[in-house]
Amino acid sequence: MHKNKFIFYTRNISKLKFHLLFSFFIIIPSLLKAQIHCGTVEFIPNSPLTQDFTFDSFNQYLGGITFNNIGQLRINVEDKAIVDPDCRWFLTMEISNSGGGTPAGEWETLVVYGGGAATTPPIDLLQIRLRNGCQTSPIDGLFQTFTNHGDVTNIIADGLARNDAGNCNLNVNGPGDYLTNYNEYTFTIDVRIKPNFTLKPGIYQLSVKFHLEEQM
Amino acid sequence: MKKLSLSFIVGVGMFATSYAQLQDEKDVTITMDLQPVLQLDMSTSNQLEFVFDDISEYYSGITHYAATILKISSTVSWDLYAVGRSNGTTAAGMWDQQLDYGSNNPNAIDQIPLSAVELRQSQANSGDGAAAGAFSDYSQAFATTGAANAGNSLYVNGGAITPPSTNDKYIAGHAGTSGTAGQDFIAGGSYLTQTGTTSDYYYAIDYRILPDLPAIFPNAANAAGTAFVDIVTANAAGNYAEPGVYTMYVQYVLLEDQ
Repeated sequence: MHKNKFIFYTRNISKLKFHLLFSFFIIIPSLLKAQIHCGTVEFIPNSPLTQDFTFDSFNQYLGGITFNNIGQLRINVEDKAIVDPDCRWFLTMEISNSGGGTPAGEWETLVVYGGGAATTPPIDLLQIRLRNGCQTSPIDGLFQTFTNHGDVTNIIADGLARNDAGNCNLNVNGPGDYLTNYNEYTFTIDVRIKPNFTLKPGIYQLSVKFHLEEQM
Repeated sequence: MKKLSLSFIVGVGMFATSYAQLQDEKDVTITMDLQPVLQLDMSTSNQLEFVFDDISEYYSGITHYAATILKISSTVSWDLYAVGRSNGTTAAGMWDQQLDYGSNNPNAIDQIPLSAVELRQSQANSGDGAAAGAFSDYSQAFATTGAANAGNSLYVNGGAITPPSTNDKYIAGHAGTSGTAGQDFIAGGSYLTQTGTTSDYYYAIDYRILPDLPAIFPNAANAAGTAFVDIVTANAAGNYAEPGVYTMYVQYVLLEDQ
């Protein structure tokens, strides 16, 4: 009896293994598989930008500091050799305070001057504006703020129907590049910070990640 | 086993043909340097002269109204205090005698306390909740002559610039770093953005010196205003101020509440 039971179980385990392996190697890879619709999706150049804000006069604290055109996002999206009508892209920006031990809603502290009982700057101090000649983004020309580390704002949203360049339409997301359609494939970045008088003096840092990706 | 091997091969093959979406990223790093800015704009004459050449001036004192205007702008929470100082050539905490008018009476001494100067600020201190002394600021009206009053005597700490303690007088804010509004600081701000008739960022300062007769400066008091240090109390009965020219200075200190 005991021997028969043992055989019964091993056979069932073999079947189970088979199903598990089948699922793992056949079904899951099928789900993961994503077809490429575009030939190239890139920023030109994609080198990082830095911008320093130094507040050392009272007028700057009162009025804030705005830097217009700290850089540009120049987009190049090309079709594949065999043109796929589903080649579309989306563009987002994501705020980061480096995570780690930094509270989600605050700037990353690099240095603190003095020891007053003030507060660390909140992330929503930073305002970012994107704009281009055709105002293709729904948030074109509007300063955007973020609340917490990891917050994402759509510039050209994911999941939209294809909207080809050439007519200065909203949400242009088809193939094209900044050389042939400059006003639709170039985004200028403006940054503004307007601190208040309750913040702890020091040096703080944030980074904004602009993410360009083809739609699936 | 054959089925298993087949599924493994197919699976690996499928992995090998799966793709990642085309994407690119560009980063902007933003650094913010918040430097503390404290600005004390003071308009006053270079020298305030108190010339006592009339008996009534000895009795009633001389007052200079709004002789100093203090305007504050600060990006951080702050405290403001006044401190009496001198070169200490006569003695620490005393006026400097520049000229002696030749009185050789042994009761005529040159030890005039710096706290003989009285101040009156135009706006009460709204950040003095943590004050523990008899007088938290200089906002009370100058006392009438005839009875000594320490409510307006200038804070002095032996001629040093050391900030007052919780028992002493500040013009705005106070000792301590509780971080609680109204307790021991004035929040950052500027007289430039204030509205209304009064402001925590704007003070007119009146000065009074009351020698009395004999000239003992009865309102001179210690830092906390709990004891008088007039010439008789600090020295001996019968002493009085030696006629002459004396100088001292009032230093206004604006500092971050920390």
